[in-house]
Amino acid sequence: MDRILIVEDDPQTAEAVARTVRDLSCEAVIATTLEAGIAEALAGEFRVIVLDRMLPGGDGVDAIARMRAGGAKAMILVLSALGRAANRVEGLEKGADDYLPKPFEPDELRARLRALLRRGTIEVLDNDLMAFGDLEIRLKARTVHVKRAHVAVSPKEFELITFFARHAGQVVTRMQLLEQVWKLHFDPGTNVVDVHVGRLRRKLEAAGSAAIQTARGEGYVFDPLAVSVSG
Amino acid sequence: MLPTATLRLAAVVALAVTLLSLAGMALQYRLVEGRLMVQAQGLLAADLDGFAALYEQRRIIALRQAIEYRAAAANPGEMLMLLARDGAVLAGTHADWPATVVARGDGFGTDGTVRFTDAGQDWLGVARVLPGGFPLLVARSLAPVEGTLAALRKGIVAIGLGMLAAGALVGWLMARQVMARIARVNALADRVAAGDLAARLPGARSADEFGLLETHVHAMLDRIEALNRATHRLSDTIAHELRTPLNRILQRLAEIKGQEAVTDDLRAQMRQAIRLFDSLLDISRAEADQGSGGGLLPLDLSALLAEIWELYEPLAEDKGLILDCDLAPGLQVLGDRTLIAQMAANLLDNAVKYCRPGDQLRLHLTEGAARHLIVLSDTGPGLPEDLRDRVFDRFARAERDRGLPGHGLGLALVQAIAARHGAKLSLPRREKGFAIEIAWPKLAQDAP
Repeated sequence: MDRILIVEDDPQTAEAVARTVRDLSCEAVIATTLEAGIAEALAGEFRVIVLDRMLPGGDGVDAIARMRAGGAKAMILVLSALGRAANRVEGLEKGADDYLPKPFEPDELRARLRALLRRGTIEVLDNDLMAFGDLEIRLKARTVHVKRAHVAVSPKEFELITFFARHAGQVVTRMQLLEQVWKLHFDPGTNVVDVHVGRLRRKLEAAGSAAIQTARGEGYVFDPLAVSVSG
Repeated sequence: MLPTATLRLAAVVALAVTLLSLAGMALQYRLVEGRLMVQAQGLLAADLDGFAALYEQRRIIALRQAIEYRAAAANPGEMLMLLARDGAVLAGTHADWPATVVARGDGFGTDGTVRFTDAGQDWLGVARVLPGGFPLLVARSLAPVEGTLAALRKGIVAIGLGMLAAGALVGWLMARQVMARIARVNALADRVAAGDLAARLPGARSADEFGLLETHVHAMLDRIEALNRATHRLSDTIAHELRTPLNRILQRLAEIKGQEAVTDDLRAQMRQAIRLFDSLLDISRAEADQGSGGGLLPLDLSALLAEIWELYEPLAEDKGLILDCDLAPGLQVLGDRTLIAQMAANLLDNAVKYCRPGDQLRLHLTEGAARHLIVLSDTGPGLPEDLRDRVFDRFARAERDRGLPGHGLGLALVQAIAARHGAKLSLPRREKGFAIEIAWPKLAQDAP
């Protein structure tokens, strides 16, 4: 069973994170101070470390370098009340693999943890072609094909569909898309991302693929095979 | 930069030294001149005494013989003339009575001496008409006096020039020392302005006015640093104290099933509240960092604006706006990518929110002489007159827009971000719609 370390001083938050971790069939280990967290990170084998920032003992982000230097190979997800854009950029620059501000939706955390668990294991079989049944993405040519027919997509839509494809079968949230595809770390207020995804989705549907589906409230799922099997 | 203050101080010192020594030497000159004249008067008086004794004995004849005798000695330093009643020369060292000299009174006293020039030489003498109508002139040349004084004047000029040079050197050294101390403080101020608030001068403070200046500057910097740290700490604390309880609420909200409409609405409101707090904190942070270059990196403004435009383009198209984006490529500025992206997103979000289908929305970026100019304009409803003066204030919203979502922090944040980057904002008046111009400082060519 994969183990996930939670370094969090607020018991309610720690328990909420632990619940999500158990939902993902992983084992949750909780540390409530920064020193205890670092000790656990260096002693145990963890796939992901969920790290708070304003902890008794210091700022979790400042401990990332120490954990890495000590040999910790886990993916690090910073989960912090310091959620302004500047804080997020700072955390990522200091070595965090992902940064989720509090308050967080359990679904958002689940999507982030899944992505991180998967990132550790992704094996690229073919660095040019990504194929999902009759939907094909050619990375070098930057083209998308559905049922052998070419689907014209904009450069940003191409980045969008490759990001979806790398997380096929998982819920991908709007915030993740904004951060990973647009590299923006603030909430623009308007759901600009929805408009982009909507356009891509309509193009694929026009070509006969219902690969992108809305996941209630939270975001989208890219799952061409599931749809083609069930539909 | 020219060391103008150093040069000025050196010049003042050099001039002061030179003028003081010149004044001293001028006084000396006057004293010497006076003494030499007294000496010349003494010699003249001795001559007159001699002639008076001879006159006592044998009157004109004795004088004539004595003058003839003295003329034979041909001493160029004396002039003796004795004339007859009709003006003919009875005896004399020179051929003629000098034209400018008029004989006055009689007797051999030294009162009424005259100074005159004859054949290019200065003389000091006494001219009398002796009883019976015999004019007598006894004069001494002032050439030795003049020679001494001329040598003295030459000396004064030479010493004056020397003093000027020495004064300039001393002044330069002095000024350099003073300015070096000031330059230390200036260099510190430059480092602070460049964003290094923790910069301090190394070494101990000296126990003089410069030491005091450095101490004062350090005290000011300590205070600014403390205030700045307090601002940052406060925003962290607010974030923590606000978001931790909100987080618990959100976790509980996720457990409520079957009332999706209500929970979704609560979530949306929570998101709005967080956005509002983040905007306030972003504004105060940008204001605290204003004027410091710290944390800013060279970035491609054209590319960044293109990205944000591209992000909003479908939204604006769907709303039915007529779009026009013209960005001069490759314009570089020193900036914070996230902040500039936030600024552009805020402006575009506003434009899309307020414009109606069919309105035009333009984003232009051009390279000006000194600054890069961003102009965003639309043909939407524009700014109500009552809002124009306070549109950049926090929570400034027009009555008209109460129904639209928003919290009135967008433009306040835009302004704080512009100020953080040293960019100038202006709201040019348009016949129709809203327009904003942001003049961005160019990236210096020699920057890395």
